[in-house]
Amino acid sequence: MRRNIVKQFMTRKHIALYILTVLLIVGSFWFVNHNHQFYERSIAEIVEVETVQSEEVTDPHGNEDQLVTQKLKGVIQNGDYKGVVIQLDNEYAESQVYDHEYSVGNELFVSVDSTDETEDLTGSILDVKRDHYTLLIAWAFVIILLLIGQLQGFYSVISLAINALIIALALDFYIQTTNISLLVISGVSIVLFTAISLLLVNGNNEKTYAAIVSTLLGTLFLFAVTAVVMWGTAGEGLRYEEMQFVTRAPEMVFMAGVLIGALGAIMDVAITMSSSLFNLYEKNNNITNKALKQSGMDIGKDIMGTMTNILFFVYISGSIPMIILYLKNSAALGFTLNMNLSLELARALAGGVGIVITIR
Amino acid sequence: MSVLVWLAIILLILMVVIGGQKGVRSFIALFFNFVILLVSILLMADPNIDPIIVTLVATTILSCINLFYINEINIKTKTAFLSTMVTIVFLLLFIVLVTESALIQGFSEEQIEEIKGFSVHLGVDFVKIAVSVIIMSTIGAITDIAISISSPMREIYRHNPGISRKSLFLSGVSIGKDILGTSTNTLFFAFFGGYMALLIWFIDLDYTLGEIINSKIFSAEMITILAAGIGVALVIPITSWLAALVLIKFETKEVEEEE
Repeated sequence: MRRNIVKQFMTRKHIALYILTVLLIVGSFWFVNHNHQFYERSIAEIVEVETVQSEEVTDPHGNEDQLVTQKLKGVIQNGDYKGVVIQLDNEYAESQVYDHEYSVGNELFVSVDSTDETEDLTGSILDVKRDHYTLLIAWAFVIILLLIGQLQGFYSVISLAINALIIALALDFYIQTTNISLLVISGVSIVLFTAISLLLVNGNNEKTYAAIVSTLLGTLFLFAVTAVVMWGTAGEGLRYEEMQFVTRAPEMVFMAGVLIGALGAIMDVAITMSSSLFNLYEKNNNITNKALKQSGMDIGKDIMGTMTNILFFVYISGSIPMIILYLKNSAALGFTLNMNLSLELARALAGGVGIVITIR
Repeated sequence: MSVLVWLAIILLILMVVIGGQKGVRSFIALFFNFVILLVSILLMADPNIDPIIVTLVATTILSCINLFYINEINIKTKTAFLSTMVTIVFLLLFIVLVTESALIQGFSEEQIEEIKGFSVHLGVDFVKIAVSVIIMSTIGAITDIAISISSPMREIYRHNPGISRKSLFLSGVSIGKDILGTSTNTLFFAFFGGYMALLIWFIDLDYTLGEIINSKIFSAEMITILAAGIGVALVIPITSWLAALVLIKFETKEVEEEE
């Protein structure tokens, strides 16, 4: 009887949860499709595209491309000119390295140049409105995670969201208080990240505590090793000048990036090892310390290669477009790689070092 | 000696000390991966070759190395390989769609300083390059999960040979659930570590939230992270399903032959 009530309650709760999710999805889509008035910049939706000119170009390095000029007609969606038609010009190269080919339905941020009452407005394109695509893929991610992972999936989503929030807050704090080192802040946030993600993903138990301790130790060692190497060689071979978007001391930013980047992988290894070792211990209480260590090493061997690989691919593939740009501009291969990959490789290698140390 | 050489040496020593022969293999595999990635980048730079086909071929070779060389060729790695490929194809379709409509290809306004002085009329389709980048960055994680599911599933099957296909599938999914959280975490931190500098830049230059969300580089980054997460989640049921199918069909024969 009681179980029945519980069951009914559960299903009711489930239904409520489903409805809530659907409402959230629909609501957020409605919002991003109708949020134009919240933007200060004018947004135009393209209603007509006309290709006026298309010519072949060959650049000094012998690359052939097609240069296309488009005339666009858009309707402004917000602000004082809402509903007014605007004329825009766009030029792009077929390869779209830096420019874009626009089509009907795209929404663009524009600046309004002429305000002649008698004719259509003219203006120039600033950027593309991309928020609805990001939202679309975010929901796809959440739904797939929930469908496959169910409760664990839900916890993963929550822990990702909390971690993103911590990163944002920590960085904000860093910017506002200039006298605290970025490394101190990353250190504190790393402790927070580790505790929160492992507790959420893995539950509140002994295994988790063991994993937290080993993650922190692993990260600490990684920091020590990287710092010693960087200091010992005075950063030789690292091309900080190629690091993008730097507004601060590059060494610091790079170091913090290395640590946080490897943290996820280190946590992964630590939790895998600690839960399988605890499992072994539970099944056989008489197992000796030595045997336990031995099987820990065996498990570690199995995951070491694949974990290093994950970091490797994440870091290296991000620099593919830049490498192609260099190569197509007749830069020598060695120079290109040196310029573009030194930091990424250092990151991947340092991450690998961290992983292996944690296994230890 | 440079930082890179030192780090590589330290990594090699650690891997050998801890992993012994397997450690050496992992290190060599890492080196091979690097070479293959380089070759595929060189091929992508050729305007006559479709970057997506290059990516498909490269991922096939890469997953072969990572599965068959580090581990051995057996039924576990074969199913893992198959499921990796199926997942990649699924993911590819999805990513092509999103990339084309979100216009996230190529370089962004924030990078204009850096590409100044370079010719941007390259004749290489950067929309496709963007797709390749996303696929390439997830391949490591996808193979990892595929093998971590198919290998315990085989153990389960060996200990309970009478298990039904459905319950074998379900146990695969439940193993997958356990690793899903940590794997998405791994990817998440790896990306954020790489883009720390970008985040600091956004805050330093007083970007508004609207500007950040709609900027090309941020959307591209978000889409990459989320697509990677989707790939990692998708590979779980695919591997479980395939492994359940293959194990019950072929392992039964093998067991009978052994007897």
